[in-house]
Amino acid sequence: MAAGCKPEKPAPVAEHPAAKIYDARGIVRKISPDRRMATIQHEAIPGYMGAMTMDFTVKETNELNGISPDDEITFQLGVTESDDWIQDLRFVSHHIGEVTGNVFVFHASTEELKVGDTLPDAELTAEDGRQIHFSDYRGSAVAFTFFFTSCPLPEFCPRMNKNFSEARKILLADPDAPANWELLSISFDPGFDTPQMLAGYANFYRGADTNRWLFAVASTNTLAELAPKVDLHFWHENGSISHNLRTVVLDANGKISRQFDGNDWTPQELASAIRDAAKIPAR
Amino acid sequence: MLKTASSTAPNDERLFFWVAVVLATVFGAGGFIIVFALNHHEATAGIKLDHPRQLVNFALTDRTGRTVTRAELEGKILVVDFLFTSCGLTCPEVNRRMAEIQQRTAGRPDVRLVSLTVDPRTDTPAALMKYGARFGADANRWLLLTGDKAVLYQLIGTSFLAQDADDPFSNMPGNFLHTERIAVVDARGQVQAYFDGLRPETTGEVVAEIARLRK
Repeated sequence: MAAGCKPEKPAPVAEHPAAKIYDARGIVRKISPDRRMATIQHEAIPGYMGAMTMDFTVKETNELNGISPDDEITFQLGVTESDDWIQDLRFVSHHIGEVTGNVFVFHASTEELKVGDTLPDAELTAEDGRQIHFSDYRGSAVAFTFFFTSCPLPEFCPRMNKNFSEARKILLADPDAPANWELLSISFDPGFDTPQMLAGYANFYRGADTNRWLFAVASTNTLAELAPKVDLHFWHENGSISHNLRTVVLDANGKISRQFDGNDWTPQELASAIRDAAKIPAR
Repeated sequence: MLKTASSTAPNDERLFFWVAVVLATVFGAGGFIIVFALNHHEATAGIKLDHPRQLVNFALTDRTGRTVTRAELEGKILVVDFLFTSCGLTCPEVNRRMAEIQQRTAGRPDVRLVSLTVDPRTDTPAALMKYGARFGADANRWLLLTGDKAVLYQLIGTSFLAQDADDPFSNMPGNFLHTERIAVVDARGQVQAYFDGLRPETTGEVVAEIARLRK
């Protein structure tokens, strides 16, 4: 996902003028001997089909290199009127659970990052429709948090964005504050939170001035990689999304400088963590 | 935290009634009384387990920072629920039920309420202290436990909740099913039944279950 080292995505639109591309995630169950077919147990593909296990034609068989059965991957499903295939296969992790008798044995994920670890880069879609990356912020401290615009409970997502708003005011009003800091609010609801949706929501919490605070949405693929790394959990229930709260401060080198878990922290604490992170010289 | 809400409450009452009626006609009123006594002793209003589950050993931390192990709960009837403090939709409702059960079992030294967090990174002892206060959790009777995620998930997965192996992509912690349930564990550490923590009737049913287990 790193900007620069990421292979250019194939251009299916040019090859298949009517192709629709869907982001998806699944576990590889079988790979055919000629590697042209992969059996994948996949999660629901919004707007296309529910969760199921099925065979897919692999467009670029070399994308299966390094991927074995039981690996979790993200991929894109391309569909035209007469054809379908998968492309842009990417390894996420070896599957972390196994069924032993009746009991699903949980293996603690080793993916969760700690303070001092470098956050792998990820791509997000900003409120203005641009693709942005964590790596775009190198040289600045960046604090990011997660939310979704239809979050109904004031003490959760709205509190995160209110705290961001307050921290921004504190830092903007502080003549001794460092110059290199940014805020980023990330939605984990790509099915609903379009850039237009985000812009309207951002306007409410921040106003139209995007100076030092952007709202963005993460795709299913990005979330598959990013969520376990920051121990973010979210899932759909009762027509809404249940989730925990994760707020992370990265230093100028993209290393995790501070993590705020839950909602029991203040804008002052965040502002102070951003000041500390901004002091660390960029390599 | 609700993941799948289907529950099949067993309704053996009617069957028992007719068995009793048949036996009563054959053997007289004695059969009727015996069957009803057995039924009363054995029936749970709760949801049956997927397979037998036993409370496994664990070492976790309560809201004061004290280590709590299974040994401390030996011989107690346990009422167990699952929560995370950032949960706004279902957990508060389930914990209102727990608070009611705490009230209805007041003065019963052989009953403990236990809440296990599924988000230990957020739910530090301090966070659980606040959360417990919100529901009036009596520190002597209602334990709110946090600790190592692997220990918590192993305990919940082995002793209490099924995990959805068919949906490994849910970002739900531990992929547990039915986290809205309240489990009742007998004094020998055998999990007896589940109750839907979102139903108001559950309070009375859990209290009845505790009375049944005392017999």
